[in-house]
Parts: sequence; C-alpha cells; structure tokens
Amino acid sequence: MATKRIVVDPVTRIEGHLRVEAVVENGIITDAFSSGTMVRGLEIILKGRDPRDAWAFTQRACGVCTTVHALASVRTVEDAVGISVPKNAELIRNIMEAALYVQDHVVHFYHLHALDWVDVVSALSADPKETSRIAQSISHWPKSSVGYFKDVATRLKTFVESGQLGIFANGYWGHKAMKLPPEINLLAVAHYLEALEWQKEIVKIHAIFGGKNPHPNYLVGGVPCSINLNEVNAINSERLNHVSKLITDAMQFVNQVYIPDLMAIAPYYKDWGAIGGGMENFLCYGDFPTHGYNQTDSFKFPRGIILGQNLNEVVEVDARDPQQIKEYIKHSWYKYGAGDEAGLHPWEGETEFNFTGPKPPFDQLDVQNKYSWIKTPRWKDKAMEVGPLSRMLVAYAAGVTEVQDIVNDTLARLNVPVGALFSTLGRTAARGLETKLIVGWLKGFFDDLVTNVKAGDTTTFTKEKWEPSSWPQSCEGVGMTEAPRGALAHFIKINSGKIENYQLVVPTTWNASPRDPSGQKSAYETALIGTPIADKDMPLEILRTIHSFDPCLACSVHLYDPDGKHIHDIKVV
Amino acid sequence: MLLLNPEGYMQNTKINTTLILGIGNTLLADEGVGVHVANYLNQKKLPDFVEVVDGGTGSFVLLGIMQNADRVILIDATIDGEKPGTIKRLTPKFSKDYPKTLTAHDIGLKDLLDAFYLLDTVPKVILYAISIAPLAEGLSLELSSEVESAIPEIVDQILKEIE
Repeated sequence: MATKRIVVDPVTRIEGHLRVEAVVENGIITDAFSSGTMVRGLEIILKGRDPRDAWAFTQRACGVCTTVHALASVRTVEDAVGISVPKNAELIRNIMEAALYVQDHVVHFYHLHALDWVDVVSALSADPKETSRIAQSISHWPKSSVGYFKDVATRLKTFVESGQLGIFANGYWGHKAMKLPPEINLLAVAHYLEALEWQKEIVKIHAIFGGKNPHPNYLVGGVPCSINLNEVNAINSERLNHVSKLITDAMQFVNQVYIPDLMAIAPYYKDWGAIGGGMENFLCYGDFPTHGYNQTDSFKFPRGIILGQNLNEVVEVDARDPQQIKEYIKHSWYKYGAGDEAGLHPWEGETEFNFTGPKPPFDQLDVQNKYSWIKTPRWKDKAMEVGPLSRMLVAYAAGVTEVQDIVNDTLARLNVPVGALFSTLGRTAARGLETKLIVGWLKGFFDDLVTNVKAGDTTTFTKEKWEPSSWPQSCEGVGMTEAPRGALAHFIKINSGKIENYQLVVPTTWNASPRDPSGQKSAYETALIGTPIADKDMPLEILRTIHSFDPCLACSVHLYDPDGKHIHDIKVV
Repeated sequence: MLLLNPEGYMQNTKINTTLILGIGNTLLADEGVGVHVANYLNQKKLPDFVEVVDGGTGSFVLLGIMQNADRVILIDATIDGEKPGTIKRLTPKFSKDYPKTLTAHDIGLKDLLDAFYLLDTVPKVILYAISIAPLAEGLSLELSSEVESAIPEIVDQILKEIE
C-alpha cells in the first residue's frame, strides 16, 4: 500500500492562512485534516465597550466580508434591545449586502476558483475565431469578436512570458485533470480580465450608501445616510441614478458573462458532480428580510437545516436555544473552564488561548491533539456545511419556486441527477445560481426603495431605544446573517449598557474546523475524502474542493506568512 | 474628496490627485500602522490635490480609487527582520519588488498590483514600508511604543513627499 501524506500549506488564493494535510492511499484521499490560523480574540477587545460601536470593530475582522460583519453586529444589538429598523433601512441594508454578494461571488469564480479549472497556458494555443464563435453561441455579451479575443491572447502571451505576475505564474498548468479545450480557456481568461474591471464598479454602491469603501458605515437602528432627492449631500436623484446604472450593469455581467461561462465550463467537469460531497447536513440562517428581521417567513433565503441530505424536510434552527449551537475546543488551541470535552453556547463562550502546537517549520500537525486555531461549532452535536449550497438546498426543500426552477433547469441542462448537488461541482454551481437570483433581488430592493422615497417616506433611522437608558438592565441577542461564505452569527450579552460577552461564529468556522470531541469531521475534512489525486506533487484536486467552499480565514487571522511564500508548499511525508 | 466623491468616482477619469493609502488591520496591533498614519494625516491640513484613504484590509475594492489617482503613496507594515519602526521608502514596479512579508493576504495587495498590469493602468506607487515585529498571539488595538514613536517621522516624510 502506497500511503502518502500531502501537505498543502498555505492554500493560496484565499485570505489568511489555511493548511490542509491529506492522507493519500493508492491515488485516493482516505483522511484529511484542516488547520487554520484564525485566532479568536475580538471578543476580548469588545468586552466593556458600547454595543453601538461594536460594528466598527467587527467589520475589521475580515478584508472581504466587511459589510456582513457590520450587519451581523448591528442586528445582534437590535435583537438584544428590541429595535425594528425602518423600511428604507431594511432595503438599503439589503442593497448593500446583495451588492457585496454579487461582487464577491464573481471575484471568487474568476479570480480565486477559475484557475483550478482553467489552464492559462493552454489558452495561448487557442484559435480566437473559434473562441469568438463559442462566445457568440452562449451569450449576447457584446465583447465577443475575433479581434477582441486575438487581442486578449496577445496580452496574455506577454504576461505569461514576462513571468512577473504571480497570478499567472503559480498555477498547475498542463495538469492532466485540466479538461477544457484551449478556446474555452481563452474565453475564461478574457472574462477574468473583464471581471476585474467590472468588480470595481459594483462596490461603489457601498461608498454611496455607506459613505466610504472599504469598511462602509453602519448604524444601530437604521442606516447612516439621509435621503433627500434634491439635496447635494444626501442620497439624491443623481446618486440613485448612479446606483440604478450599476445594478443594470451588474445584471448584464452576471447574466451574460458569469452564468454562461459557468454553464460552458461545467459540462467538462461533470465527474466533479460525484467528488467533494460527503456532508449530510446543511445549515442556513436565512437572510434578505422583506418585512423585518423577526419575520423569518419574509426572508428571500429561508432559514433552516437539511438533515441527512433529505430534501423533503426543512428542520427549524433556533440560535438562541442554548442546546442547539455549541462550540467545542477539543482539537483547538483554547481552554474552557469546564474542560476540553465541553461545548459552550456562544452566549457562554470563552476565549482563552492554549497553544500547544509545534513551532514552525514542522512536517506534520499533531492531529491526535489540538491542531487548529478554529473552534468547532455543532448544531445539536451534528456537523453542518454552510454556504451557497446550503442556501440553495434549504430554499429548494422549503419550496421556494424560483430556486426550484433554476436548480431543476440547471440539472436538466447538465443532464446530472439531484444527487450531483452534493459535490464540489454542486457547490460551485450553487454559488453561480444564487448570484443570478440575488442580482434580480438587488434590482427589486432598489425599485422598492425608489417607490418608497417617491411616496414621501425618507426615514432611514429610528432613535427609539438609541439611548442605553431605554434598554433592559441585562439582555442578550443574536445577529444572524448569510454572508456570501455562509451562515454568520454574532452573539451578544449586554449588561448596564455595556458589552459583557460577544462571540462571532463565522462561516469558515463551520466548514474548516477540526474534529469535535466525538471524532466527527467538519465539512473540509469530510469533503476531501474519496478525492482522486492524479499527481501527488500537484494536488490540484485538493484545491478544487477547498476553493469550492470559498475559504476566508481572515476573520482575525495572523496576516503574515513567515517566508512570504506564494506558492503551494507541497511536501510528501 | 475627489476620488471618493460619488460624482467624480463614477466618472472613472484620471484625476490629478495624490492618493495616500494606509493599509493594514487595526485589530492586529502594529499590523495596522498604515491605517494609523492615514488617520493621523487626515487631521492635518493638506493640499487640495491630496486625498487620504483608510484602505483597511480591502484588496480588490481599492482598484478603482488607485487607478484614478495620479500617484499613490502607500503605507503598510512589513515583517522584514529590521528594528520595529524602521521606515523604508521604496518605488517598486512589480509585485515581486515589494517586501516579501508585506500584509500578505494571499488575495491581497500583491494581486491587486498584478491586476494593474493586467488592466494596463499601472499607477505610480511610492511605498512607505514600516518594519514591525512578528505579531503576538491574539488581537490588540494598541501600537507598540517603537512603532508608535515612529509615526511623527513617517508623517513628516510623507508631508515632504507631497510638497
């Protein structure tokens, strides 16, 4: 038996630092361990502060998800003290969150994930005429002439030959698991460049409504922008026109570039509809409220859990119930007062460091003991996958028609069974499909905002319960959101107007965590098992599955890499 | 507010502006020194053609404002083994010319810099790299005394740069 241990450290093209160790027997992964350097500790900084300021700190926890951490934070305070935000505030928050989703998912697809499937060097041998023909057959996107693709190919040649650009220098080019014809590779590379240009436009929505970007402003009780159609410094007609144009362009990009590319690439990788699954349970907190945060039946993404891959039933989740969500640290570098086997609801959460790991450089993690900075969250002691796939599965099972239609249509077009959803391909496809839905919702939220404003409602903030003197002496709240990467919740305990405890349970915690005390694996470790590895020196297959989750370890991560390495440090031990 | 002003920002035209961009994570103590310097400069009276932005840990979202500026003065922390608080003024061309351990988000600043080449709109970048010690366990909002005491000198050098 040829048993090898493959170490991928760091897993690149992601924020932060993630290490994956996989045991490979006869070309198949039989066991896997995921370790992250995501140190918790924001909790310690927030203790004793004014709860109304927490959003400004929490959104610094992550460089890509800034707005969702701010949103989860204002929601948790509003939940604790009992504030309902005005209609316009709900719509503007939805617009900002939807804009983040669309930008983030497009950047994930083209700039973080595509190069796992697209061979840049192969694109150099493409026939631009054929690429042009393919492009015109799948989309009305205007930039599809032979001359355009010829020009892209020439530019690409310069980049690759210069060897100066890290983005194109470190791929597994020529790997035998790369299956696209050169012409589709060229199409994808062209759109990699187009997506770079486009993504900088859509984020302007954050600057318009949030005053600045990155790190736009949020406010407990509403949104910190005033609406006055005729006032220079407010959200006025001109700014609303800008937003309208940005949304129209976003719809065009998603519908004419992202989705057609996804559907052009997927048929070459249908085998990945049977790889990278393995998770039984899927959690979605739900998001995009349309009639208030407490009216969960008004959410665009419904709240719920799928157990045992059973799409006939949606199980209820209550994050406030101390028996449902608990975090474990048996394999994480922390200690609890109640010992290593205990699980704590986030309201009772503790953050005390207890690093027992090896000093770098080292060959292997001690996986029998503690091996990660990530805690292990569980719902009723079950491991949950979170993210786009969970959202689509819960909505599908809950009977949301537009989700059922788009999922069924995609399965039919790819000619794959429903079971193919539980896979790496399913995860990547779910991200695209939800983007198509969300960009449509984005337009709807915006139209509703304009209608509301034109009808004379310009309220964006409620000052009722702004003053801590109007709050209960002690109270607790949960701010649940669906971040682009999955279920995100902030948990707060307030005493005498100050933060007594604050815990963030972020999506990557659910997916990338180490084993729990009973030995159950979380999503990354589960999904890698059974994956074929064609070339142990180029473990492209590991990256495909890990990247399909869109890992984000920047939530309080150490941001440096001691060797400054931007290549996969592959060791066969 | 030339670059971020929604009207100017929408036009995507090159503006005769110097962008001072502080990068870093203020939750990670000295790693956030770039943002601290930006906040400090924001309280000074600066010429009209200068705009100071707290870039935080934002990466690709900074593409637009950097492209539209005439010149970018970037301030970031680096873990390069030098004494904490050491200031280096660099004029890197490619991402590989930047210090190895400069705010090393994997999809981060360096990929952003590569992106300028891909889009054929490379701004003129002057980098002030501030040496910091390897980060301690956990989070902190406080700068170390070595790095904190270097701030007046960094600010001074940048003010001379834009004179």
